[in-house]
Amino acid sequence: MENRIIEKQNMDVFVNNLINSDAEVVGAKRKDGKYAFGKLADATELCLDYDLALYPPKSYLLPPKETLIKFELGEELEAEPVVEAERVILFGVHPYDIKAIELLDVAFSGTNPDINYLSRRAKVTIIGIDCLNPNPNAFCASLGTATTDTGFDLMLTDIGASYVVAIGSSEGEELLGKYAVTREATQSELVQRDEQRQKALAKYKVALSMSAEDLPELLDKSWDSPVFKEKSEKCLSCGSCVMVCPTCFCFDVQDDIALNLKQGERYRQWDGCMLVDFALVAGGENFRRDSETRFRHRMYRKGKYLWERYGKLGCVGCGRCASACLAEIASPAETFNTLKEERRQHD
Amino acid sequence: MKPRLGFFDFTGCEGCQLEVINFEIELVELLELVDIVNFREAMTEKGEDYEIAFIDGAITTESDISRIKEIREQAKIVVAMGACASLGGVNCLKNFRPMEENLKIVYGDCAGYYNTIPARPVSAVVPVEYELPGCPMNRYEFLKLAKALLLGKKFELPNYPVCVECKMVGNVCVFDKGGFCLGPVTRAGCSAICVTTGRHCWGCRGLVDDPNVNSEKEILQKHGLTVDDILNQFRIFNGYLEVSK
Repeated sequence: MENRIIEKQNMDVFVNNLINSDAEVVGAKRKDGKYAFGKLADATELCLDYDLALYPPKSYLLPPKETLIKFELGEELEAEPVVEAERVILFGVHPYDIKAIELLDVAFSGTNPDINYLSRRAKVTIIGIDCLNPNPNAFCASLGTATTDTGFDLMLTDIGASYVVAIGSSEGEELLGKYAVTREATQSELVQRDEQRQKALAKYKVALSMSAEDLPELLDKSWDSPVFKEKSEKCLSCGSCVMVCPTCFCFDVQDDIALNLKQGERYRQWDGCMLVDFALVAGGENFRRDSETRFRHRMYRKGKYLWERYGKLGCVGCGRCASACLAEIASPAETFNTLKEERRQHD
Repeated sequence: MKPRLGFFDFTGCEGCQLEVINFEIELVELLELVDIVNFREAMTEKGEDYEIAFIDGAITTESDISRIKEIREQAKIVVAMGACASLGGVNCLKNFRPMEENLKIVYGDCAGYYNTIPARPVSAVVPVEYELPGCPMNRYEFLKLAKALLLGKKFELPNYPVCVECKMVGNVCVFDKGGFCLGPVTRAGCSAICVTTGRHCWGCRGLVDDPNVNSEKEILQKHGLTVDDILNQFRIFNGYLEVSK
């Protein structure tokens, strides 16, 4: 992988050149004392040293609500698919969020490709940045998601006076050539990058007490653990944990009709397994009507089900759920570690 | 023949009826599909042959009780519009004080000329088919119900809390900003409008079907509210419910 250098004083020029291109440039901005991804109007709005954005960049690939089909009722039903995709450059995405997008890519392609997701994805460019100031709730170091060699067009690392830029795709290379002032990276700068990454790894405050690969088996043995009931007693079923999750991709599909009772649209909107009606089916049966089974399901989804299905864990350790959960029960690391401790005492 | 609608006001600010009138363009479209035969706030004519009755306001007097029962006899479908009709709403604040005292505070020396009873939602007096909670009700939810009724489709309110909609619009949590909020137990359907505009959720859409009130109360206490503070917050719109007692 080729590496270049952008001097810090030249970064604003690169960002502003991108903003003035035909793409929408999205990056982490300050919002009420936190950070949130949003459209950039100027490079000065962009924060590259943020710890965690409140929401993942997922909404640029899977919007909270989107129209899938427009239809017209009549003697013959007419229906047209709706696929909307704008060119977006996500600037300053942390590795764990890139890993999450890699999971979404797998989930929305495969045997049942999702044309709405894939059309957007094809128009999204990802400029990553290594996270050097991890959030206190993050545990990426335990999941191998603190850094990434894949999933980006460009990857930045702050080494003090400049940024090392790893080139991950020809598109990234082209953007760099067209819009940025760069120079070749020296060997010592690449060493500095490794040091920065190593230093960041040591800053994580939360860690798994086992290796990530052991999670599916641990969960396999933990179905009857009391921890699910204990924790879920405080659960508000508010869905905050799944709404802020970069890997949660569930949605509900509904129809809406205009007042003329002829034209209508079919849309989808985010849904989540922690919500009471998520597993409600026709006839009124709800497969997970109590918060204990919903809580357990989410943990299994994160640590076992998606692993078995896609070969990737359903959690990237970003810490958003733990940060968003008012009841302070959402951290997968906390539950996994409790389960591990239970096993240790049992065995 | 088009379905015939009537709008009736009880104790409230009539803002939910205003929401219907505020439609303008959609109202014209709606009138292609229905006849409105009774709507004091919007028209002079009064017909009593309505099939669907939309009720605005809470039940707060003895005469309210007999009037709502008459409306129920006539209407095939009764819809409670807004927080007052569906929850009792702010009217229930008076329920925490003796009725005589309320009369004295409001009417002074003339208190003896009036009567008042503890405020209650319409459903406490007569069966109600649909409720459109909120202060005011969400008029697009009103339209959604109207379309569902016209098409014979099922109508359901969201059964998840405001937090879901707050997250969908990308708000910073009120608790993270040092405030407090009833959003985690309050029924969504408002697009989290209060939080989005810089305030907190007051609970005007009532609670979700299965709210974890104990957990919410614990969280509010952790964020500095006393037990009295918490009850006062719930009483603003949900005074009729057990959660406020």
